[in-house]
Amino acid sequence: MSVEYNPKYMQHFYNPVWESFEDGYWEGIKQRKLVFQKCGECETFSHPPRVMCPNCKAQNWVWVESSGKGRVYSWTVLRQEVHPAFRVPFEVVLIEMDNEEGVRIVSNMVDCNPDEIDFDMPVELCFKEVTEEWALPFFKKVE
Amino acid sequence: MTLRNKACVVGIGSTEFTRNAGRSEIHLAVDAITAACDDAGLEINQIDGMSSYGTAGIYAAEMAPDIDVARSMGIPNLKYMGQTPWGGGASCGTVAHAAMAVSSGVANYVVCYRSLKPASGTVRYGRPTAIPAEYRYSYYMPFGFASPTSWVAMFAKRWMHETGATREQLGQVALVQRENALRNPRAMFYGRPLTIEEYMFSPVASDPFTLHDTCLENDGSVALIVTTPERAMELKQKPAFVSGVGWGTSYDAHSMTSYYRKNIGLPECIEAGKDVFKMAQMTPKDIDVAQLYDAFTATVPMQLEAYGFCEYGEGGAFCEGGDRIRLGGELPVNTSGGQLSEAYIHGMNLIAEGVRQIRGTSTSQVDNAKNVLVTGGLGVPTSALILTKGD
Repeated sequence: MSVEYNPKYMQHFYNPVWESFEDGYWEGIKQRKLVFQKCGECETFSHPPRVMCPNCKAQNWVWVESSGKGRVYSWTVLRQEVHPAFRVPFEVVLIEMDNEEGVRIVSNMVDCNPDEIDFDMPVELCFKEVTEEWALPFFKKVE
Repeated sequence: MTLRNKACVVGIGSTEFTRNAGRSEIHLAVDAITAACDDAGLEINQIDGMSSYGTAGIYAAEMAPDIDVARSMGIPNLKYMGQTPWGGGASCGTVAHAAMAVSSGVANYVVCYRSLKPASGTVRYGRPTAIPAEYRYSYYMPFGFASPTSWVAMFAKRWMHETGATREQLGQVALVQRENALRNPRAMFYGRPLTIEEYMFSPVASDPFTLHDTCLENDGSVALIVTTPERAMELKQKPAFVSGVGWGTSYDAHSMTSYYRKNIGLPECIEAGKDVFKMAQMTPKDIDVAQLYDAFTATVPMQLEAYGFCEYGEGGAFCEGGDRIRLGGELPVNTSGGQLSEAYIHGMNLIAEGVRQIRGTSTSQVDNAKNVLVTGGLGVPTSALILTKGD
């Protein structure tokens, strides 16, 4: 399952803030596209975004749409309530993307029992609305 | 030119560790610093530097700021002030800053302190009330990924998968530290034994971590006084020499969510470890007892690997059965009970315990302990210290 939200606390947890060098990522999310930084010089990927390519030091990022395919690199199932905004239990997954070298992203699963999750389990991207304004990138099992 | 043995810890002081201190962080800091001055045989007014830290991030909350503490104690002047960033990763860094300050003559007596009251205060660690207006959290909070326990669980689960470390092995860390706390009347868990059955059947917080894998939540303050070896001669205590210091961020460092490196691990500890051993002119074999930052059980075996006490993948086995890490074993760890069983003072109590081992006054004293490794929090930029009896 993905985390269930208590609408009472929506505005506290679901409105992202970002730095100017991350505009491309969040503009992509607004359009329901998962994009990652790829260096226009040396093709290094970076996520979360940063100002300069860590490899060649260029500031020539291209925002590349992800294929959305990945595998579970690690995960944890939260069973103790941290805040009433998030109803336990739910899982948080760390997905390693298949086609963007070195890119991992934190998310939740959709339509998946926490007990089904395993290392290297193939997953794919799906967007889901969390507020009226925002849909966020989640993942589901590849059937 | 080296910092090796140019400074020493000459005083340690602490408040009680409690669920409700009934006074503010500033008041707690004043009480711990007063106790440290008494311990050292130093007049309060001789303090002329302060080195402290708060929580991690741009909203780093230092609830006992240096000038407020100094004013409350009537300290006439601070010639040195230092804040080390990134929460518990800063603990040993405060002593490194103090050592640099006193050895360079910028100040004479620098107090390092941490004061916190997450048990009864308004800021409860791991219980966020909103997305901090800080860009990094936008990648985590909307997914309910909002507590240090879950952030470190993500590392630990992958590490257990890669190395085959088991929950029983993590349980031995909790049990050994509890044994140490049972000898330490200051400890929150003094008089409260823990069995492997209780550990194994404890409710899961964020797997693989249960209640007994996570540190205490308490109020309290710990302070240390750092000065030069020359000045130390005039004071009451046998000095604990700062023989090595090390810091590390490694590459692609985040605040507790460094999940994007080729291999998740603790490269910041590997970097800090290289420098702390090099400065001290030692290897891990020279260390008699270690105080390893233990906000969570798994970070102890992970640090045994990162600091070179064993190879990657052997940390779990190192803790198997607990014999190698308990008093009398090859590397006793967290002899006060650590942050799992003594108190959570963001690592400052681990440094105080390191000093006690050098003095020979620990409640779980390692025979003839000469060299102690103390480490700061991890998963964040970190720091490490080697304390010794001197040359």
